Amino acid sequence: MKKCIRATALVAAATSLVLAGCSDPGAGSTAAEGPVEWPAQDTDLAGTTLTIWAAQNSNTVPESVVAGFEELTGAEVEVETIPDPYEQGVQTKVATGDKPDLAFWQPTASQLTALNASTNLQPLNDAPWVESLKPELQDMTGILEDTRYAALITTPAVEGVYYNKEVFEEAGISELPTDWDTFVELGRELKGQGVTPFYEMGADRWATQWWVQVQLAEAAKDGLWDRVNAGEEKFTDETIQGAIDNYNGLIEEGLFNEDIKTATFEDQGDALLAGDAAMVVQVNSFFSQLQAKTDTAELNEKIGFFPIGPGGNVGTFIPDQSNALVAFKTGDAEKEAASRQLLSYWMGEGYGDFVAAQSTVSLQDSVTTPEDVPEALLSVSDSLGDSVPSMQAAAIANPDLYIFLADMIQGTKTPEEVAQATQDQFAELARAQGATGF
Amino acid sequence: MPALCVGTPFRKGTIMTASITSTRKEAPPQSTAPTPRPDRRHKDHPLWFLVPALIVLVVFFFIPTVFNFVYAFTDWSSFKSAINFIGTENFVSLFSNGTLLNSLKVTLIYAVLVAIFQNLFGLILALLLERDTKVNRAVRVAFFVPVIMSALAVGYIFQALLKPGGALNGILSFVSGSEVSIAWLGNTTWTIVVVALVHAWKWMGLSMLIYLAGLKTISEDVVEAAKIDGASWWATFRKIRFPLLAPAVTFNVATALLGSMNGFDIVQATTEGGPGGTTELLNIFIFRTFGQGLFAQATTMSLVLFLTVMILAFPLISILRKREDVL
Repeated sequence: MKKCIRATALVAAATSLVLAGCSDPGAGSTAAEGPVEWPAQDTDLAGTTLTIWAAQNSNTVPESVVAGFEELTGAEVEVETIPDPYEQGVQTKVATGDKPDLAFWQPTASQLTALNASTNLQPLNDAPWVESLKPELQDMTGILEDTRYAALITTPAVEGVYYNKEVFEEAGISELPTDWDTFVELGRELKGQGVTPFYEMGADRWATQWWVQVQLAEAAKDGLWDRVNAGEEKFTDETIQGAIDNYNGLIEEGLFNEDIKTATFEDQGDALLAGDAAMVVQVNSFFSQLQAKTDTAELNEKIGFFPIGPGGNVGTFIPDQSNALVAFKTGDAEKEAASRQLLSYWMGEGYGDFVAAQSTVSLQDSVTTPEDVPEALLSVSDSLGDSVPSMQAAAIANPDLYIFLADMIQGTKTPEEVAQATQDQFAELARAQGATGF
Repeated sequence: MPALCVGTPFRKGTIMTASITSTRKEAPPQSTAPTPRPDRRHKDHPLWFLVPALIVLVVFFFIPTVFNFVYAFTDWSSFKSAINFIGTENFVSLFSNGTLLNSLKVTLIYAVLVAIFQNLFGLILALLLERDTKVNRAVRVAFFVPVIMSALAVGYIFQALLKPGGALNGILSFVSGSEVSIAWLGNTTWTIVVVALVHAWKWMGLSMLIYLAGLKTISEDVVEAAKIDGASWWATFRKIRFPLLAPAVTFNVATALLGSMNGFDIVQATTEGGPGGTTELLNIFIFRTFGQGLFAQATTMSLVLFLTVMILAFPLISILRKREDVL
């Protein structure tokens, strides 16, 4: 009996200890934000070590910058790869109090919110490089509640149509579609000729959402996501539900590949390159996949890009994790300043080398884009000027719309259930953020 | 907490020896033997010997479990720093949303399938490899290899084997002489069976080993007596050997069923919960919810899983232990 009492007391003591420790370990300092100081790019940093978290597909991106920065300042920069799924990994680490100095991060409202930007991230207001960016890119993304938290380093991805030029040529198509109706009409025409017009990757799921989002281009310009954020409009309302219904209708009409349920990202790239399908609605990472499969000359010959929306050739931009970096509040003022210095160098003196090393489109007028950048990527970059924000870019939360759409493709959800599940999850996330209207 | 120990693969070893070597009808201690005095027992096994193990258990098991209970009633998320108690709101919203119940259903079906397959395969292997020949020893090792392989690696290997253009369809095409392109992991009805088979394949070596150990504990005399009475192999197995295997069955069924309820890695690597959510185990749902930054909701789900395992474990183990009364 005595033992029993002692054991109970022990458990009670342990429990109270645990309860006392019940606070968020990821909670950082919430000191008032003063004006941000930006050290000169060549300030000596001997003895300072900075850590950058990167994903498996972005861990080689900083190479040229790291080398240049280390030589210029004497700092040491370590790039640490966080295994996929990258976003989950980083969020979990940050939640448990583990932070790097810098990290690749999707500079969208929803993803900055997911990192609890105001607590965990350094504000990058008055960043010295912003003025040198092309005007349309300066305030396009990376900003949450009027504070800049992310540095855009490469062209944000755009949702649009990648097509096989040779397939179009053989089918005698010389004019690209100019709006949604002509786009779908083109699909039907190609199907009539025995060509698979569209290719979707139902098994790998994540690209399914682009089909719905590009149909929302005009609505997005008109403030759709603001209304969704405020709880005034729902995924189940006419606009988004309509886009889901349309997508389902096109699948049922047979305009997609026959193996839509089992096709993967890899298959999608192979199919478009081989001309087994004419068009794919995708983002930049799809093109990176093609670049890994073949060279620029072949890509220029075969693959083209055009943006599409209901009322015209409007792109829907969706910056991703490899497009931007965020700097963390680590509590160490010197290191925080060093992180900002690295970003200024990256977008300053180091930018020319970076763009050349990555063969990517330059974001600055003063730095020229290398000549070996494929044409399709230039078209993507050109479409950015009048593009509209995607769900990820403008909504406060990023529900698993793509999973629910993939369920629809597999036949386990109706289009109505897709919208409902998305709305439920969105509301849950919005409530967790304390958003009003939920 | 016996149920938990059984559900956790790391503790399989201890239970295994416990249940296999437990011989309940051991000769009772001679009444003439002096009963050990309590203080002497104390000297032999001082309680503080438990401390190192207890610390590990408390830090890595009890505290997280208690946290699991606590955080389920809060609004902990990645979106803000403060953690507030919000009562049972998480439970209400989870149960009003059909996804949780669907995942629970999938988890239970998966667990039952794994338990059946793993035990069936394990028992068949044990019976086939019962004799201690050199070949049998080597084959036993071969079948045990998947047990020590990384579950994720197993998952990815099977994903490659089972995809429409994968090796399995290649072999089938070769054998049948016509093009076979079955999407083994793309069927909304049968994929869960395929994934359960993969899980069972990975763990059947362990079941085999335990059944082998169980078979070894059966007295030669009993089997010989049956033989002399003219019982066939099947009759001997059904009436004598299988009932005597009861402790091994208890351990194998309980670990397979409760362990696969905690399944994650193999399913994540093969289907990620697809196609169409038909293999979305509760743990995959939890992982997805945690990844969304909804830490409290994810914790609530894992509490639900914990309670489900507990509710299943107690009756299951007591029923299985009852079968051991024949011993």
